Order: sequence, then C-alpha cells, then structure tokens
Amino acid sequence: MKKQEIDLNKIQEELEGYIEPNMNYCCQCGKCSAGCPVVEAYEYKPHQIISLIQAGQMEKIINSNTIWLCVECDICSTRCPEKISIASIMNHLRVATWQKNTKKDKNIAKFYKLFNFMVRFFGRSYEPGLIMGLNVGTGRFFNDADIAADILKKRKIKILPEFVKGRKEIGKVTKKYQ
Amino acid sequence: MEEEKIKIAYYPGCSLNSTSLDFNVSIKRLLEVLGIEYEEIEDWNCCGTTPAHHTNEQLSSALSARNLLLADKMGYDTILSPCVSCYNKLGHAAKIIASEEEGLNDFELEHKRQLVEDLQEMGFKLKENYDFKVYTILNFLLKHRKLIKEKYREVTQKSGSEPPRILERLSVACYYGCALLRPREAEKFDDIENPTSMEQLLGDVGIGCRKFQFKTECCGAILSLTNKDLVLKLSRDILEMALDCGANSLVVFCQLCQQNLDLRQSQINRHYKKDYRVPVLYLTQVLGMALGLSEKEVMLDRLFVKPEI
Ligand code: SF4
Ligand code: SF4
Repeated sequence: MKKQEIDLNKIQEELEGYIEPNMNYCCQCGKCSAGCPVVEAYEYKPHQIISLIQAGQMEKIINSNTIWLCVECDICSTRCPEKISIASIMNHLRVATWQKNTKKDKNIAKFYKLFNFMVRFFGRSYEPGLIMGLNVGTGRFFNDADIAADILKKRKIKILPEFVKGRKEIGKVTKKYQ
Repeated sequence: MEEEKIKIAYYPGCSLNSTSLDFNVSIKRLLEVLGIEYEEIEDWNCCGTTPAHHTNEQLSSALSARNLLLADKMGYDTILSPCVSCYNKLGHAAKIIASEEEGLNDFELEHKRQLVEDLQEMGFKLKENYDFKVYTILNFLLKHRKLIKEKYREVTQKSGSEPPRILERLSVACYYGCALLRPREAEKFDDIENPTSMEQLLGDVGIGCRKFQFKTECCGAILSLTNKDLVLKLSRDILEMALDCGANSLVVFCQLCQQNLDLRQSQINRHYKKDYRVPVLYLTQVLGMALGLSEKEVMLDRLFVKPEI
C-alpha cells in the first residue's frame, strides 16, 4: 500500500482538534527533547515533531523513525511547561498510520503483529513463540542467543503456551482491530 | 477488635506469569505475610500492553476491560496489577468505564461506546456504574504501610531474631524508571521527578538507601526486543551511576527494568567490556526478607546477578 493513502490532513485535524488542542502553546523550549531517553536515535526530536505538525509537514513525520521508537515513557509530557501531552500525540500518530505506513520500523512492526496475533489466538502472550518468531521474522536469528542459555537455566520461560478459556470471545473482538 | 481483612483481586499479567515468576511469587508471599487476602482473576487475559496500545487503542481497552469485569464478577472492585504496563492499561480502561458520557469529547465518547459494545460481544452484561480501584505494587504497599510497620515490629521483637545477613550487606539504590508517570490521568502518589516511596517503605523495615541521581531515567523498556543497543546503553548508564553513588545493588518494582538491568547485565558487560556485578532485586523480595521470609521463599535464586556481596 502506498503511504499517499494515509489521510494526513485528517490526522492533523484530529491532533489539533481533540488529541492535543494545547499544541499551539508550544514555545519550542525543548524540555521534552532534553528528557527523552531515546532522542539520540530519533530522526526528529519531540519538539521538532510539534513544529512539523504546526507547519503541516505531516509527511516528514510519518516517514521518520521517531514515532516507532518512542517508548511512551511520558517524560516529555510531564516536563512540558505548557502541559502538552506529547506522548499522546506520538501514540495517535502511530495508531492512525499503523495500517498503511510503509516506513514504520520493520522490527517493531513484526513484533507488534506477532504479539497481537498471539493474544488473539491464545488470550495471553506466549514468550517462547514471541522470541522465536521475532528472531526468525527479523532475520536476526537468535539475536539474544547469548542470554538464551541463561534464561533456560533459570527456567525463566514457560515451555508451553497457556490458553485462556474465553479466547474465542476475545478473538472475535480482537479480530476486528487487526 | 479484629480489623477487617483486606481482600483484593490479583492480576499477574503475562510477564509475571512466566519470565518474572520471581516477582510474582515474592509479591504473593509478601501479601500473605501482611495478612492480605488475594484471589487471582479467573481466566484473565493479556492486557495487550504496548503492541495493542500502539496499534489500536480500542483493542487495548477491550482486552484490559475484560479483566476488570471478570474481577467484578468475582465480587472485587480493588485490583492489584503489579506490572506497571498492565497497571497503566487496566487503570486507563477503568477510567473509561467509570466516565460519565456528558464529560467526554466526541472522540472519547465514540471510544467508550465501542468499548461497551465489545464487552457485550464478549458476553458481559454491563452494570450501570463501576468504580474500579487499580493499584500497582508501589502505591498498594504505600497504602498499607501500617501493616508493614506492624509486621516489622513483630519480627524484630521476637527473641533471638537477627536481620538476614544478605540485607546487611546490601547498599541499595532505588530505581523507579518511568513507571510513576503513568497512567497520565491517575492521581500521583509520589513526586515524579524525585520519588521517595521505595525509600520510605525500605526505611520502615530498617533499610537505608543511597542518594541516587538516576532514579527516574528510562531503561529503554520494551525496545530491548527490537533496538537492543539503545537499551544496553541506557541500562549501562543506570548501573554506572548506582556504583558512583556508592550502592552495590539496585531495588526495582518493574519486571521490565529488572530484566534490562539484570538479565542483560552480561550483555552490557560484553558490549562495553565491563565487569558489572550489580544485583537487581525486586522491592517485594527485599521487603519480604526483612519481614522474615527466606531467600528461597522470595525466589532470590532466580536473579541472574547473584546478590553475594
Ligand atoms: S516541552 Fe512543551 S513547550 Fe517545550 S518544546 Fe516541548 S512541547 Fe513545546
Ligand atoms: S514518551 Fe516518547 S517522546 Fe516522550 S520522552 Fe518518552 S520516548 Fe521520548
């Protein structure tokens, strides 16, 4: 799917309309970016995301890695002098473009897909499947091989998945959203 | 007169049910020592955590709310959800369920209506009002500080009782990570830039803590599965700062922080050619031992970096 299919104007309206109407009070002080733990890895820093939205340059945002690397720790929002909820903005950008965004971080996308699928299937997450699937799916087979032995030694992982009795009902609802 | 017993529903969540079983078990033992009755939510499901929340908020709310309604069916409105990610999601769902339609904007209203529909589709008959109180382990223990103090007095007054040797050798730094900041709408029970809840609780059982500048730095959280190098760097900085502050161990209350700092410490050592040996204990393990539980009972042997100092 092409990224052009994403309705950027609509997302911008949603952001400014009800996700964070306070956005316009941003004074570009940069406090949000100063406290962000992953800012070094970002193509655009949190305060730059705000000014890009204001300038209507949504395309740049959704083509960047920023929204996918944000861990939603909320440090930015709590330190903002204007109480702008930057983390909510980030999440809305993720949620609104998740389906059609071709530039999202591939590893993270695989992880989310796999995880959501497992929850739909089992009702709970299943870590061995998740780790295996992630390592195979991202072409980094046993990225964590060095600690895998440690994990097994300490029996830190359950070998068999658990099934939730109500997984059928859960599956019905989750299917709609995937 | 005997005080009424505290009864709560317990939501372990997926991590505590598998990779972080030590956290889970130490919590349960601690609750028992404190005389708090708990019952695991029957047939609980995954809250969806980050993958659901980052891809579809409606999905996240539906998954979380199912657990709340199951607790309600069992007759509970107080839920202990130690994992801070689950706590965040369950707490948020609780707020949506309790919200009055008049106060909501269009977006929130639509979200709530869809959630109600989803829950009905899952077979729940919804009541008029709900008032769920969701706690993570830290604010739950703070609320019941009195019980901890009483129990400590009881343990120390027993003749011939000596504090566990292991606790005497620990010089701890309390690490909170980003957990206190969320859920955004929740009432904050501590200072978010310089929290002291853990220091207070440990102080109640006679354990002093080092001053620690990196209390609320982020460990990189779930990025460990997809951007490992970044997590290794963030976690290394935390370990380094703890040592600089004169601590020889860290105390945490989040299993994700614990994993990044403990399980990945060997990776950090290899990556940065270091030789850190900083045990990372759960708050509940330390409190448990101070209140008379054995190392085995709090599953201390599950830590990757052994607390032999
Ligand atoms: S902290 Fe708030 S006001 Fe300052 S740059 Fe960031 S969003 Fe703008
Ligand atoms: S919520 Fe995201 S953008 Fe904000 S400080 Fe945390 S990682 Fe950075």
